[in-house]
Amino acid sequence: MTHLDVALIGAGGIARAHLPAWTALGARVRVYAPDGRAPALAAEFGQTAVASREEAMDGATVVDVCTPTDTHHEITLAAVAAGAHVLCEKPLALRAADAEDMAAAAAAAGLRLYPGHVVRFFPAYAMLHALVTGGALGRVAVARFTRTGRYPTWSPWFAEPARSGGILVDQMIHDMDIARWLFGEVVRVHAHQRGHLTAPAPEDAVATGTAVLTHTTGVITQIVGVWAPPATPFRTTFHIAGTGGTVRHDSLASPGLRIVGTADANAAAGIPVGDFGESPYATQIRELADAFAGGPEPRVGPADGVAAVRIAAAAADSARTGRAVELVTPPAPEGVPA
Amino acid sequence: MRIAVLSFAHVHAQTYVELLRDRDDVELLTADPDAPPDDPDRGAALAERLGVPYVDDWDAVFALRPDGAMVTSENSRHRELVERAAAAGAHVLCEKPLATTETDARAMIDACARAGVGLMTAYPVRFAAAFAALHRAVADGSLGPLVSVHGSNNGWNPTASRPWFGDRELAGGGAVMDHTVHIADLMDVLLDGEQAEEVYAQANDVLGPDTETGVETAGLVTVRYPGGAFAAIDCSWSQPEDHPTWGGLALTCVAERGIVEFDAFPRLLGGFDSTTARSRWEPGGDDLDAAMLEEFLDTVRTGRRPRPDGEAGLRGLRVVLAAYTSLRTGQPVRLPVTPDDNPGRKHPAE
Repeated sequence: MTHLDVALIGAGGIARAHLPAWTALGARVRVYAPDGRAPALAAEFGQTAVASREEAMDGATVVDVCTPTDTHHEITLAAVAAGAHVLCEKPLALRAADAEDMAAAAAAAGLRLYPGHVVRFFPAYAMLHALVTGGALGRVAVARFTRTGRYPTWSPWFAEPARSGGILVDQMIHDMDIARWLFGEVVRVHAHQRGHLTAPAPEDAVATGTAVLTHTTGVITQIVGVWAPPATPFRTTFHIAGTGGTVRHDSLASPGLRIVGTADANAAAGIPVGDFGESPYATQIRELADAFAGGPEPRVGPADGVAAVRIAAAAADSARTGRAVELVTPPAPEGVPA
Repeated sequence: MRIAVLSFAHVHAQTYVELLRDRDDVELLTADPDAPPDDPDRGAALAERLGVPYVDDWDAVFALRPDGAMVTSENSRHRELVERAAAAGAHVLCEKPLATTETDARAMIDACARAGVGLMTAYPVRFAAAFAALHRAVADGSLGPLVSVHGSNNGWNPTASRPWFGDRELAGGGAVMDHTVHIADLMDVLLDGEQAEEVYAQANDVLGPDTETGVETAGLVTVRYPGGAFAAIDCSWSQPEDHPTWGGLALTCVAERGIVEFDAFPRLLGGFDSTTARSRWEPGGDDLDAAMLEEFLDTVRTGRRPRPDGEAGLRGLRVVLAAYTSLRTGQPVRLPVTPDDNPGRKHPAE
């Protein structure tokens, strides 16, 4: 593809993360959002806001779906009908059947559909994948992942289970995808969730979830998600143990730059801190743009997006019913005691 | 006080001996007559190395009428020694898990109650000063209501030094039996003795290496309590055997007004050790075993009810036994509601 012509649907938090990455690749982007925020976002990056979805998609080679989850299915089908490849923010959908339908529609049209599982592009997780698949941990036995960030009260739909799936689906799907990427298909899921689980969510709302995944390989994974009180920094951790040792990560533990003294609470405002290097969103979009242009398959494909939804939906079912949910008939994985 | 350490089967026996042998207020006795005669880390050989008096006969040690007895035999052999110690009038500190069956645990509690002696379960982690501060913050409401907890208690595979830990009969199970109870006990403190309501567990034995034993070496346990709080626990023996420290215990409490992390065994000093070619790890934090023994000795001295008591041990054991049922069924297991068997929930001294 010599020219990237992108329709960005939505102008919220993820659209804001994607747009600079598209812009850096030289894409021409038309931004459409029904909430009136498109003009400001587009102007910030020298792109164009348009007044309708049709106008955005007209002539687009790629549609980037950055809208609430319950709209992904319909918008993706419209994008495919318009002849565009699709980057769809995670989760692909709230129900596995919808995600399968999206993947099938894209495949039937000869178009590519990629889910925005951006955590695969974060350096620590990419390195973890290289370690695990390269055998550095030997045979993996047990893994745990945590993900903590402030409750997403900036956009009210996150707190609505019917729109986002709640913390188990919207937030914890990140680590469900990572666990499956690392340790293979999941045969059994058990989950709990607790806290503020309905809309509207007040500014100081808190919610947590936990899920235990059992993989066909025998690996067991614990995932903990926290939608935290407002002044909580974003943080992810993992710890994996195998016959070859352990690996652990804490995203707050070793920043490239941190502020360790200030004159007053605001003195440090404007000094960038944390991790430097390419934004994982930019890495993601560059790799996907290459694939849209006919390049090699990226590290994440439509089947991964569908499988992640299947695991997350099973976790939501488990939390609702109080039962562990079997995803496929377990083949009695080696290493699991009778 | 005359304090008897009964059996060297558990590695903690040696720790307790080392903490008590030089005290002026303690006359220490040890006994390990069931030890394999040729094991240099058991019986008279260990007692001699530790420089403590040794009695090679159960009848003889109970005839000496110890004031307190510390039972550090294999898990399934706790009951016989606890019952004998109680009958001999000794207050008892029993290694965790209290027993491997609810029947045994109940019998031990009843035997001590009948004999009028205290029964304390050896849960040292609740004695950490940092945990006490966390407990206060939860209890006084400054953290707001507790939403959920996640924690890990990982360690070396103990079968390397004590093979019975891998014997289903003697140990009652593997990592789930050995390690779940510590975090379950911290929850017991935070939730004021509330008995867990439901348990889900998954496990495997990938980390072996002693596959003959057949016990699980990695486990994830999810515990839900009647108020709705849940605890997600990693109880695996996943600390590599060549790691410079045995393992650790960490707990994160998510509450409505804050998130607090507790590390029971914080690293005091790091660095690199060129002689062993591995990272340096000098432990910090309180001596939790010493704090726990202070509590036990005080109960021996005063006769007051110990904390944590036998009921706390039983509540933790119920979580573990439900976890094993869950491992068999692949489903969460509901615990029976037992509102009346928690007399220790409110301490008389409070």
